[in-house]
Amino acid sequence: MPPLLSIDLHNGVPAYRQIMDQIKLQIATGLLPPGSELPSTRALSADIALNPMTISKAYSLLERDGVLERRRGQTLIVRERPAEAQQTARLDPLRQQLTAAAHLAKQLDVPPAQAVKLFRELLDS
Amino acid sequence: MPSPALAPAPTAPAADTADASPVVLRSITQRFGKHTALSDVSLALPAGRIIGLLGRNGAGKTTLLHIAAGLLPPTSGACTTLGTPSGKLDTPQLTRLGLVQQEGRYLEWMTVRQHLDFNASFYPSWDRDLEKRLLEALELDPKRKIVQLSPGDRQKVGILLGTCHRPALLLLDEPISSLDPIVRRRLLDFLLELLRDDGTTVVISSHILNDVEKIVDWVVALEAGELVENSPFDLLQESYAEWTLTSAAGALPPSFAEPFVLQQQSNGHQAVLRVRTTDTEAAARLAAAHRAELRTRPLNLDEMFPLLTDQRRRRS
Repeated sequence: MPPLLSIDLHNGVPAYRQIMDQIKLQIATGLLPPGSELPSTRALSADIALNPMTISKAYSLLERDGVLERRRGQTLIVRERPAEAQQTARLDPLRQQLTAAAHLAKQLDVPPAQAVKLFRELLDS
Repeated sequence: MPSPALAPAPTAPAADTADASPVVLRSITQRFGKHTALSDVSLALPAGRIIGLLGRNGAGKTTLLHIAAGLLPPTSGACTTLGTPSGKLDTPQLTRLGLVQQEGRYLEWMTVRQHLDFNASFYPSWDRDLEKRLLEALELDPKRKIVQLSPGDRQKVGILLGTCHRPALLLLDEPISSLDPIVRRRLLDFLLELLRDDGTTVVISSHILNDVEKIVDWVVALEAGELVENSPFDLLQESYAEWTLTSAAGALPPSFAEPFVLQQQSNGHQAVLRVRTTDTEAAARLAAAHRAELRTRPLNLDEMFPLLTDQRRRRS
C-alpha cells in the first residue's frame, strides 16, 4: 500500500521535510512495515502533485539516514532496523509535539508537576 | 588567447547536455529611455527545474523573459538561450522554446481551433494529444473566435500556443492571473507533468505566490531591476523564519542588532523577529543570551516575499 501523504505547501516547512517526517511517522506507527515498497519518484510526484526534485530529495535523504534502502535497481523499500532504532524513531515525532507543549506550559506558568499530571491523565483517557 | 581560467568564455557551452543552463545572463542591462528596467543582472538558470520568477510590478520580470526569448536585444550584456546568443536563435532552436506572454497578441479573426492548427503547422513536434488534453483541462472551447474570448480564455490560448510543441524551455509571464482556482490548479499540475515527462525547464512569473509555491523548486527574485535572489526554494524555506522570544523578566532589548534580523517588534516581554540564517543554533543562542523562551516557525512564500525584495535596500 503506498503511503498517503498530506503536504501543506503554505506552512513554510519545505515539502521534502514534510515527506520525510510523514514517511518516518508511518514507519514508526507500523503503517509502512519493513520491506514495503515506496512509489517511484515519478509516481509519487504525479500522485501528490509535487515537483519530482522535491520527492527525490526526500527519498535520498531517507536513504542516507538508513530509513529506506534501494533494492534491485531503483525500487526503494523500508529498511529493517534494530529494535532500539525503531524505539527512537517512535519517540522522535512525540518529542517534536511535546517540545511545543513544554514551551506553552512554561509560558502559562503551569508548574511542571501539574503539566506532567495532565499528560498522564491524557495518556490514561 | 587569454587563459580560459582567467577570462570568462564569451558564449556558454552547447546546452544539449541535461545539466547545461538553458538561460545564461551576463551583466544584462536594459534601458527604456531614462528608465532602467534591468541593471547589471548576471545569472544562470538551472535546467530541469520549475523556477519562480518573483518581483513586484515593474521589477523587470517581463523584460528578463523577453530578453531570454530573444524578443528584445539588451542595451548591454549578453544573454545565451539554449546555448545560442538569444538574439540569434534560429528556427530549430526557437522550436525548443515556448513563451506565454502576459497579454499575447493573436490572430483575432480565427477560432481557437484555427489558431492552433495555424501554429501547429510551424512545429514538427506539435503534440495533438497534449493539445486535446489541455483544451479539456483548461476548459477552453476550440470553436470560439479569439476576438470574443474573455481575458481568462485568452490566457488559456496563450498557454496552449506556448506549450503544445513540447518546448525544452518554457517561459510563462503571469500565466495564471486570470484563471480560476480550479483551472489554475490543473495548469500547475500540467507544468509538473511536462517536467516529469520531458525534463522541461519552466520559468514562471507570478504574483500569486500561494499557487506558485506548490510547484517551484527554485526562486529568482528581482527588485527594481536588480537580481536580489537566485536560490533553491527549500534553502530559502530553511533560512527564513520567525522567532518569538518571550522573557518573563521583561528584559528583552527594544531592538536586536544581529545582522540576520530583518524585521522586528519588541515590547520588552516579547519580541517577534523575522530572520534569515542557515545557522541552526543561532535561535537557541539568542534566546539563551536574553534568558528568553523561544518559539520558531518557518515562513511561507507570501511572508518571505517582502523580505526577499527588500534585500537590496538593506544592503545599500
